[in-house]
Amino acid sequence: MRSTADMAPPSAAAVDTPNVTDPSLYLEGIPHDRFAQIRATPGLAWHPYEDGGFWAVTRHAEVRHVSRNPELFSSAIGHTNLWDLEADALEARRSLIDTDAPDHTRLRRLVAGAFTPKNIRRWEETVRAITGELLDEFVAQDGGDWVDMVAAPLPIQVILTMLGVPTDDADYLVELSNYLVEGTGDAQSIPPDAFGNTTELRLLPFNSPASHALFEYGEGMRQQRQNDLRDDLVSHLVQAESDVERMSRNEYRNMFHLLVFAGNETTRTAISHGGMALAAFPDEWGRVLADPGLIDSAAEEVLRWATPVMHMRRTATTDTELAGTPIAEGDKVVMWYASANRDEAVFEDPFRFDVSRANSDHFAFGGGGPHLCLGAFLARLEVTVLLEEMAKRSICLEQTSEPVRARSNFVHGVLSVGMRPAGGSN
Amino acid sequence: MASDDLVRVVVDQELCIGGGICEMLEPEVFKLDDDIVISSVISDGLLPRDRAAVAVDRCPGQAIAIVEGKA
Repeated sequence: MRSTADMAPPSAAAVDTPNVTDPSLYLEGIPHDRFAQIRATPGLAWHPYEDGGFWAVTRHAEVRHVSRNPELFSSAIGHTNLWDLEADALEARRSLIDTDAPDHTRLRRLVAGAFTPKNIRRWEETVRAITGELLDEFVAQDGGDWVDMVAAPLPIQVILTMLGVPTDDADYLVELSNYLVEGTGDAQSIPPDAFGNTTELRLLPFNSPASHALFEYGEGMRQQRQNDLRDDLVSHLVQAESDVERMSRNEYRNMFHLLVFAGNETTRTAISHGGMALAAFPDEWGRVLADPGLIDSAAEEVLRWATPVMHMRRTATTDTELAGTPIAEGDKVVMWYASANRDEAVFEDPFRFDVSRANSDHFAFGGGGPHLCLGAFLARLEVTVLLEEMAKRSICLEQTSEPVRARSNFVHGVLSVGMRPAGGSN
Repeated sequence: MASDDLVRVVVDQELCIGGGICEMLEPEVFKLDDDIVISSVISDGLLPRDRAAVAVDRCPGQAIAIVEGKA
């Protein structure tokens, strides 16, 4: 472990590391120039943060290494966000995200079956019906807020259907998710006792009273399903929770929280940035309209372009080394997917939105290894179906207002962006 | 080495996290059990080396290995 006497940046290069954590930077978008500067610096950059700092892993190859070596880089120590949690807070908030094997393997298998490529394919018609309705309404209204009208409702309606949660509650759960996104930044707009919360905020995911509300909602669902098991994901979890060897009550509530939040917020972000990209690069969207064979590569490019989750943190379990830089046991190691997805060593002309890009080895779902995004194939399906249904209707997008971005260095969120359908919907 | 050179793959069931990517890539070789959500090899496990390498690389649980010298 790095001792307190050791708090000074461990290398001289650290002094020059540009700040990439200030949440206010992200109001203008990802600070790509700063990441490019870090990528170009040999070795690993030490980035000061609060009382200490972390190793900023910004290149594709090194993000991959950290992601795929969980025995060296733990998810269960400290926290997977930049700041450490106290032990009781970490336990209270621990989800699939903040575990290593064997706990991670046990919890992941409880939900993995619902998200395999084979089983996700069964939801295609549901996704297509929801998407079609939202697009038809978007055209009928001659556009509006792309986030409110398409990007948010599509994934929340799909994940709630999978969970067995009434889709009538979609707006409420999106509202809670918006407060959770605020919690990933440094500014909460709601008081600590919002939603009747009496729990200390440090014990709640994203320090947000909205997490209390989501926990309460999940508990309500659990009680409902307990005596009325159905063919849905909540019932499946409730059955597992009845056997403490399989899942504890605290694991249930954090799993429910994760499925609702990650199941809607991330794909919402992908679709928000996807819409902005299609509006900003109409020639690229024109290529897709002319050749629907490009839909799959276009969907992957939307995911690379959007990078909905911009980083995850690990903690070194032992003294190790990366990019020639020694890492001490206990050091924080942060994988910046937002940077790896623009790594010029891997992606040719990385700042070009290219619907036919051959290399789809992006890290929109993380860098591989056991924490690969659980919903990766669901997100792919949603983005692919959206592009197919837009193409079917010949919808082109024209952006009518500047995006309002989330004040967060973690979620690449867009709160609103105006769009109208251009180019002859038929 | 020629890419049609056959190798044998095995699944470490302790590591499998039930991602199901293996059965998407090679449905003749891998099958994910619906109840226990763990993959196993349902054939003789023989695959061309390049396709075996893709299955190894894409497995999130890092549970698939190529057994050398037994093909």
